[in-house]
Order: sequence, then structure tokens, then C-alpha cells
Amino acid sequence: MNVQKNGVQIDDTFAEAFNMRGTRVLITAQNLKWAYNAANAMTGFATSVIGCGVEAGIECELTEDETPDGRPGVSILMFAMGSKVLMQQLEARMGQCILTCPTAAAFSGLASEDQISLGKNLRYFGDGNQISKLLPDADGNNQRYWRIPVMDGEFITQETTGMVRAIGGGNFLVLGESQSQVLAACEAAIIAMKKLPNVIMPFPGGVVRSGSKVGSKYPKMFASTNDAFCPTLKGGVKTELDMGIESVMEIVIDGLTFDDIALSMKVGIEAACSLGADSGIKRISAGNYGGKLGPYLFKLHKILGA
Amino acid sequence: MTALTFTLKKELSHSLDCSRLTAAVLADKSIAEIKAMTLEAHHTVADWFTVSGSDASHIVFKDTNQHLSYIGKQMQNGTITIEGDCGDFLGQSMKGGTIICKGNAGDRAGDKMRRGILLIEGNAGDYCASSLMAGTLGVLGATGSHLGYSMKRGTLLLAKSPTEQITWVDCGIHTLPFLKLLFKSFANFDTQFAKLTSTRAQRWMGDISGIGKAEILLLNQD
Repeated sequence: MNVQKNGVQIDDTFAEAFNMRGTRVLITAQNLKWAYNAANAMTGFATSVIGCGVEAGIECELTEDETPDGRPGVSILMFAMGSKVLMQQLEARMGQCILTCPTAAAFSGLASEDQISLGKNLRYFGDGNQISKLLPDADGNNQRYWRIPVMDGEFITQETTGMVRAIGGGNFLVLGESQSQVLAACEAAIIAMKKLPNVIMPFPGGVVRSGSKVGSKYPKMFASTNDAFCPTLKGGVKTELDMGIESVMEIVIDGLTFDDIALSMKVGIEAACSLGADSGIKRISAGNYGGKLGPYLFKLHKILGA
Repeated sequence: MTALTFTLKKELSHSLDCSRLTAAVLADKSIAEIKAMTLEAHHTVADWFTVSGSDASHIVFKDTNQHLSYIGKQMQNGTITIEGDCGDFLGQSMKGGTIICKGNAGDRAGDKMRRGILLIEGNAGDYCASSLMAGTLGVLGATGSHLGYSMKRGTLLLAKSPTEQITWVDCGIHTLPFLKLLFKSFANFDTQFAKLTSTRAQRWMGDISGIGKAEILLLNQD
């Protein structure tokens, strides 16, 4: 079936995604500038679990009315392939990025049965001067907070945050006539996708140019460049590209549920296609492993209601 | 369900131990069973109080006076509201929940308290927060002598200056964002404490005759 959006061809293919563990942390500070400083540090070097342990990103901004301590903040989502890694990475990033950031505080952003340490172990930085506070939230449920004396005053953190089953690896590819045109389409997609809750696009600016395939000619490499989508290799390898395609970029999405990712992909693809074929955007495709590795298949035509 | 309410029937001229009137003790009891409970030798609850309502997780004392002692002793959960004055040992050894006293409290309020929130909208007597181990005790009115005597950990929140005490160390005046969290938790209750907004407070650490990990926070009223 030939499906097009605004003259852009939508491949009859699917994105293949995996089970992950996810958590949400609310970062507040004296103002948004410092909340971002903390959150950017915490979600830095968190593009792919392959090399970073976790995939993380800023989900949205929070007003004073939306945070536990009545200060402005941001919500971040963090995903890992397993709970152990997620816990290790969260603690390490809390210690190095939030504890260290002037005026920053951290709170739970997810209510779930599974709870993981947020400030539970970080409290020992207080060297015995840390103070525990068990306070009822708006629903009357007691929440434990830690006040840790630091040089700028006090660092406040909730003891734990929730951990849930989540999905990582939703994706789509934007194929076009030039690098600048494809990047413009991806930027449009990211702007639209960032308005949605429960998802992050963990790569720089939300876009990745180095999509990978499993395996390599070099035994020590377990992933290598996705040569079938590399424009400069057209003709030299088994390619997925026709001669009119000069650039391909990918948007990867991690989310709390299948529906969150599906909606995000739909909104992103539609935004990218809104620029139209006349702006050099030719095709939308997706990355998969033949449906053999990941339990979640995001079929592009179905997502777009075609 | 309406709050389980104890209304004092007659003038008391002696201290009445109310320690049995907590959610944990009353939760599964009928009104008749509660009325028949012994409060002191030869006297039952019904001798001193009219009892109404059914929700033991929210207990209310009405027409109270300074002779009702040990209210909320060892309470673990729920809320107790005292719509007037109460006697000594309010919230002694409490382990959770919230007590709100809308009048004045007697001596040793929060004695040996371990957890929870104890809010006194009026004055507190002598030895307030004595040997308090953890939790939050707030007093909007005046406090008596020997404030925080042997207090170990926990927070004593004051709206009026206490008398100077040699075993408490002045840590200076600070802006504490944590107070926003604390005030937000007060918003769950019908109390004057829910109107607090200042995050500026003078802090003392003490009681340094012991481990000295407790704090007194005097809120800036500006």
C-alpha cells in the first residue's frame, strides 16, 4: 500500500522497541535557569544504554503549582534496560548532578509499588547532620524527605521515587535530499513531540545521525553503522536508499507506555511531513531487527491511521 | 463518616488521663463500647464525655480545659483536634499522625515524641518538646521555660521568640525552602499553621547537653 503524507512516502515498515525500566524525577530550584542547569547535567551523557547506562531527557517544565516545594522546575525521565542499572545510575547522577547544583532539589515524579532510592543513600553526605522529615502529601500519604546541609543552605530530596516498566527504542527515520533539509524536518518533529508527556527523545537535540545495526566485521564491536541507510555507501553496499536520498536522520523515543510512544511517533512524523516533499523530505522509514528482538512493533501505517 | 467527637460534660478539677482515646484503641469499637471504656478508676468515658460520630481516624475534643492530659499519647496515625485548651503531656511518645490543639497546651507537650506532627495554635507550657526524639512540633503562641529540654532530633517550629537557653546554639537566620514543603503538608488540616508562608527562620541546634541534633526554627514574621 502506497501511503503518503504531504507528498512524503511512508514506508510500510515498523519500529521495533524493547522493555525497559523507567523513572521520573522532579527537579526544582530557585528559578528555571538553575533547574535546567541541574537537569541538563543529570540527563547529560544519557543518549543510549549502549554506552551511557541509561537514556534520559527532560520531559517538560513545571510551574510553581506543579512542584512539591512550590518552586519552578523540570520533570526528567530516565530509562535503563534493568532495575539494577537504573538504580545505580540514578544514585550516581543524583549525587554528582543534583546534590552539587546550587538551590536544586529532587522529588519523586512517579507513584508506583516499586520504589528506588532517590536521596535514601545520598543522605549520608550529611555526615550525621542530615534531617529526616515524614510529611503527608495532598492525599494524606506520608512521604519521607531528607534535608542535607550543604554550603548553599540545605539540599532537599525525597527518599525514593517510583520505578515502572517502560518501553525504549521507538523510532522513525527521516530521509531527504540534503542534510540541512532533513535536520529542519527533524527539528520540526522534535518541537511537536516535546509537547507530549511521558516520552523523551534522548539523543542530542532529540536527533541521532548514527543509527546502528547489530554486529560488525570487527569481532569486538557489537554494533556498527547502519550501512543500508548511509547515503555515501549507495551502490557499494546493500542499500535501502535510492539515488535521490542524500541524508538520513533518526528520532528515537523512550516512553512510559506503548500508547505514549505511538502518539509521539505520529505527532513527530506528521510534523516532519508538514514541511512537504517540496522541501526535500522524501521518505519516512523506521529501524527494526526484523521483529525478532523487540516485543513491541510500531507499524508506521497503523500509527498514522493509514 | 463524621469525626469521633468527645465533648466534655462537666467541669474537671483534676487531671484526667485521656491516653486511651486514640485511633488505634477506638478504631473497631462501637459508641456504646467507647462510652463504657474506663478512663480512670471508677469512671468511664461516658461519665466525662458525650460521644458522637464514628470516624476514629479523626478524633475531636470539644469544650476542653487544661485538665485533659495525655491526649494522643503513643498515637500512631489519624488526626486529633482539640478545640480548646488541653493539659500536660499532649502527644507524649506519639509515633505518627497529627494533633492540632486550637487552644493552649500544658507542660511537656510532645514529650518523648518519636514521629508525627503536633501543632499548638495557642501557648505551650514548660518543658515543651522535652526529650522529643523526632517529628515536628509547632507552637504559634508563647512557650514556657526549659523549651526543648533534652530534645534529641526533630523540629520545633515557633512563631514567637523563646527565652534564651544555654544548651541551644544559635545557627543564624536562614531561608529554608524546606519550610514550603512543611507548610504544604499543613494545608491538609484545618489549622492556623496552614496560613504560614515565611521561609525565613532563625535556627538553633540543641539540646547540646545531649546529642544536639534537634532544631528550633523561629519563623520570621515580616
